Amino acid sequence: MVLEVTAKDLTIKDPEKQEVFRSEKNWFEIGVDMDRDMRYGAWQIKETIDLTLPPKQTQKEDYLINFDTDTEKVEIEANLWYYLKGSKGDIIHSVKETISYETD
Amino acid sequence: MKLCTMYRVLIGLTCLVFLSAQSGIAKEAESIDELVAMFDESKCAQCHEQIYNEWQHSWHSKAIISSLGGMRNFIAVGVAKEWNAKLTKAEVLKCLDCHAPTVNYASEKLAVEIGEMIVTAFDKKGTPEGDKAKSELSRLSVGCLGCHNVKATSVARGLRGAPVAGAIYGPNGNDSDGHESIETVDLSRSVFCMQCHGVYKAPDGETIKCNTLSGSYQNTYMNLGGSETCQDCHMKKGHLFPGGHDLETVAEGLGFNVEITSYRHLPGKVYGVKDSTKWVPSVVINAFVENKTGHRIPDG
Repeated sequence: MVLEVTAKDLTIKDPEKQEVFRSEKNWFEIGVDMDRDMRYGAWQIKETIDLTLPPKQTQKEDYLINFDTDTEKVEIEANLWYYLKGSKGDIIHSVKETISYETD
Repeated sequence: MKLCTMYRVLIGLTCLVFLSAQSGIAKEAESIDELVAMFDESKCAQCHEQIYNEWQHSWHSKAIISSLGGMRNFIAVGVAKEWNAKLTKAEVLKCLDCHAPTVNYASEKLAVEIGEMIVTAFDKKGTPEGDKAKSELSRLSVGCLGCHNVKATSVARGLRGAPVAGAIYGPNGNDSDGHESIETVDLSRSVFCMQCHGVYKAPDGETIKCNTLSGSYQNTYMNLGGSETCQDCHMKKGHLFPGGHDLETVAEGLGFNVEITSYRHLPGKVYGVKDSTKWVPSVVINAFVENKTGHRIPDG
């Protein structure tokens, strides 16, 4: 599961250069064998290093983003991705907001 | 003397029949056809059509063919190469006791054949040989009798005894023309699901960690006062048992709240901007991700 937060500076004309901030928080586990070497096989994994989100728990992630002084409009997007297997992910929840700034 | 011998034979036969009924084992199947016939689940659909249809669309109905890669690796890499051991029914059951519980009633020879078919189905995928093996394996799964008979008494074996052959265990125990019904709360308890949806402990002591759901359920969720069962959430759609494959279920289990606060940072306080005399457009984002389920996320 991944929390992906991006910020786009909509003042920039080229869409490919608009993304000025990206952060990803990943919840996952690492399976290890008796020597604490990482393993994938169910028969090899004897312990796990648990970096998942525990039940009945809320985790908070904070971000402070400073844009450039000529930025007039930004788009903030936060997506919660769930990966069932490998690289195939689905967006479970999404929030998008546009902010306009007064320039001096 | 003749009468005495006859009595002995009669007593012996009675004991054999009794023990056979107690253990629930009629015989060991020598082929997949025989095994499927012994636990003929198509009969279930005749009276329980809706439940059967739900199950057919569940991952339980595809419990072998959806996990071929992992099981193939266990057999071809784990057992054969890492352990340098012979494939036996005991080794095969380290996967299939959960992925196809009826294999407990297969002969040693058949169980090994099924194990070899798993390797063939995966390694020769797309070839006639591989497709035939997969097709045969698709007849085995976590079926009706896997839960409602074979595994029904496993979590309290001392108290409940071995499953009675042919009987259907369930929470209501309603009589049926088609089968003997035995009422049990066991199938409604989380510990029933935890037999397989957690760390599997084989009879020889080997631990198999396909997933660890039961660990976080028991040691975190319940420890924090949680009291819902696996069935409370995962049987909301009946025997479809939605979980991680169902995005609606995943979304229901995850809370997501994002607060976005824009402001302007003091001039001269942010390094690297174009004009250090100007206010700096800024934003603070607070994202809250809540696990509302009874187990950790992600888990399998």
